[in-house]
Amino acid sequence: MTAVAQGPVSERTAHGSPARTAPTGFRVLRAEWTKLTSVRSNAWLALGTVAVAAATAFGLGMFVGPEDGRSGSWVVTSGFVLAQVGFLVLGGLLGTSDYVTGTARSTFTTVPRRLPVLAAQVQVTLVAALTTALAALGASYLATAGARAGDAPALDLAVPGTSRALLGFVLASVAVSLLGVGLGALLRHPAATIVGGVVLILLGDQLLAANPGRVTDTIRAFLPSSGSRLVEDDAALAALDAATLGPRLGEWGGGAVVLAWVVVVLAAAAHRLARHDVR
Amino acid sequence: MSVTSTTPGTARAAAATRSGPTFVRLLAAEWTKLTSLRSPWWVAGVTVAVAAAITYLSAQASSGDPGFQPFDSLSSGLVLAQVGPLVLGVLAGAGEYRTGAFRTTFTLVPRRWPVLAAQTLVVAAFALGLGVLATVACVLGVLPAAASRDIPLDLTAGETPAVLLAMTLFVVGLALLGFALGVILRRTVPAMVTALVVVLLLPVMLTLAGEMASEPADPASFSSTGEGPGPITVPGMLLTFSPGGAAQEMTVPASYQPVAGSPDMSPLGGGLVLGGWVLVLLAATGVRLRTRDVR
Amino acid sequence: MIEVEALTKRYGSTTAVDGLTFTARPGTVTGFLGPNGAGKSTTMRVVVGLERPTSGSTKVAGQRYADLPAPLHAVGVMLDARSVHPGRTAYKHLLAMAQTHGIGKARVREVIAQTGLESVATRRAGTFSLGMGQRLGIAGALLGDPATLILDEPVNGLDPDGVLWIRRLVRDLAAEGRTVLLSSHLMHELALCADRVVIIGRGRLLADATVHEIVARSERAGAVRVRTTDPEPLARELIATGAQVAPQEGGVLQVRGASVDDVGTVARRCGVTVLELSAESGTLEEAYLQLTGDAVEYRAAGTQGGAR
Repeated sequence: MTAVAQGPVSERTAHGSPARTAPTGFRVLRAEWTKLTSVRSNAWLALGTVAVAAATAFGLGMFVGPEDGRSGSWVVTSGFVLAQVGFLVLGGLLGTSDYVTGTARSTFTTVPRRLPVLAAQVQVTLVAALTTALAALGASYLATAGARAGDAPALDLAVPGTSRALLGFVLASVAVSLLGVGLGALLRHPAATIVGGVVLILLGDQLLAANPGRVTDTIRAFLPSSGSRLVEDDAALAALDAATLGPRLGEWGGGAVVLAWVVVVLAAAAHRLARHDVR
Repeated sequence: MSVTSTTPGTARAAAATRSGPTFVRLLAAEWTKLTSLRSPWWVAGVTVAVAAAITYLSAQASSGDPGFQPFDSLSSGLVLAQVGPLVLGVLAGAGEYRTGAFRTTFTLVPRRWPVLAAQTLVVAAFALGLGVLATVACVLGVLPAAASRDIPLDLTAGETPAVLLAMTLFVVGLALLGFALGVILRRTVPAMVTALVVVLLLPVMLTLAGEMASEPADPASFSSTGEGPGPITVPGMLLTFSPGGAAQEMTVPASYQPVAGSPDMSPLGGGLVLGGWVLVLLAATGVRLRTRDVR
Repeated sequence: MIEVEALTKRYGSTTAVDGLTFTARPGTVTGFLGPNGAGKSTTMRVVVGLERPTSGSTKVAGQRYADLPAPLHAVGVMLDARSVHPGRTAYKHLLAMAQTHGIGKARVREVIAQTGLESVATRRAGTFSLGMGQRLGIAGALLGDPATLILDEPVNGLDPDGVLWIRRLVRDLAAEGRTVLLSSHLMHELALCADRVVIIGRGRLLADATVHEIVARSERAGAVRVRTTDPEPLARELIATGAQVAPQEGGVLQVRGASVDDVGTVARRCGVTVLELSAESGTLEEAYLQLTGDAVEYRAAGTQGGAR
């Protein structure tokens, strides 16, 4: 009421001026975060991924015995094999949703420089995947408590590589999500993104593992599926390195490979976004 | 304009005498719908190419082994190429719902069931053609390796004809599984993820669990049952009766040992289990189509 | 003939259509009107069997839609321009529709020509503009040469030529004795091409009458508009003769209870200069807004009454 009494001019400046600024990186980030959290299916997907990780770890924990040569960290993180599909889909959907729904038109007319949007989507995916991965690790830990108290090996931080494997579960999960968002932004098609991602993180490795040799083992080492090495403890890594005919990646080599993939795929997506049309 | 030329009387009389959708007509319509899209042809082309390339590379890689048998490499290309029929089926099944085209379809055929049956048959027929081509591609893929070792590849000998048939039907079965998941989930991404997890990942997990659950091999226990595979375990049973495990079973020659802890199923048994899954999913879809609205 | 009887459709706790009854008869164009979310599309989807009524029934040509032996020949349906796979060409889309009823390719080409789609028939439907998608939908509805047509927003997105074409098409179709039910937001269009109008609001029937009858219910209908240099003495004089006068801006008076002749005579008697004198006729749009506005007010009042 007082604003009206002061006259229309002062009211206009008071309300008008703060809105007339350009989109900044932080604002774009906040907008992308709103977009992520306002779609209910994203939350369900994250929750489903946590549930799948925990359920798989629980299921495998029922069967693992002392004679299987697995460590406690393997019992907790064994859900990664299945849960990584959830992380891939999470990233893939975040990368493609704008293009599928046509939101891209409004997104990129609002932020015509475009690249800040991709950067914001990567950061948002990072946060979402990190949260989901930590929750999945916690849920898997609780779900396997019974098994570890019984026949399965206990989680012993003294076993070499155990803490790294637990951290690796989180890192590898986030990496798969980032690969997903990159592939999604590059391909702009969810089905193609998921099929392509599954071939890269899973099927290619399975296929090449069936034909061990110097060439195939070298290719295997440089596929993003090497990221799953982060989840293994020292003994398992040593066994993998001893068996391979290709390069031995050691403790962090697998992580470096998947990181390189993420960077290359995101660079390709950025190139397409900056140089080509958005429809 | 033919419309303007008809008089009121003939327009209504004609509607009464003209015939409606018959099953053969639906088959023709669904065939037109499937083949008028580009994606099935792309998927089919990539599938055949991948089957040939991977089989060739795999056979070349193992042709150096002293005990090389071209027969063993025959289905290696399908490990990757199996994604093709799955994607084909999912796209065919979910495509109508994703795009809204189902409104047109179900106003034309309000009984709905015949549409589901016609689509199933059309996908099966398309996948059968794809399966034949993919199998031929696999055979062509092993030829160079076999020739380099001077091993003749006799396609009529022993288990080879059965394996070739099973490979073809494997492609058909996976396409139908993808289709069934597509029509029941009605959305491409959930159906695709489900199909990939069920066919590719679940068998890996269950095999792993099965190996851990099986007792370590004890030569003494073999005496009573000959060369029996050991006791059957829970994960082994789940593997055998899961759609993915059953599909893998189809391409394994009957004479091979089953996975640890699984009952010994022939390729025929695997095919029947997979077919059963497809039927259950399609039946559920049929019930849903009859009892629920489509929107 | 389309018969909707006591149709109710609920989704969970929301009621989309509430006891709706109306009939669209052969030889007439029936306009179907209502605000967004009034239940028009839901009613149409129930009529063509995509959704089941919660209660009540709908019949086309005397039968439940699902029992029609040849639905495409009985009813031409255009619900939503996006009922097409975007990856399929217009020709193949229509061909697949035709094949379900054994209709030949010649007829497919005929409706393509009739709807002016020849030049784009081999293009994928996903690349179509709104107007072309609309024409494709109409082509599909005409394919079976049906006795009944159900068109949801057929003029949406069409250019002036297309609008004119649709208007003539539905008039011709009705003149041939067919039943045409079409919904539209463009009142002016409906006033020009519909014989009867069914108006619904919040799923309930508000009016079912000829366009003429509905327009006559408009507040403005029957009033006289007079513009003069000196409105006050004229108003006083008119009120004295028993008419009701509503002064408006610019020296305009809206007069009820007096004919144009009466107003002219009174004006001469009190010596004012008349600049403009005409009988006012309401429009369908005004009648519609009053009807739907009343529906909302009625509902609000009813709620209060319930609380009392």
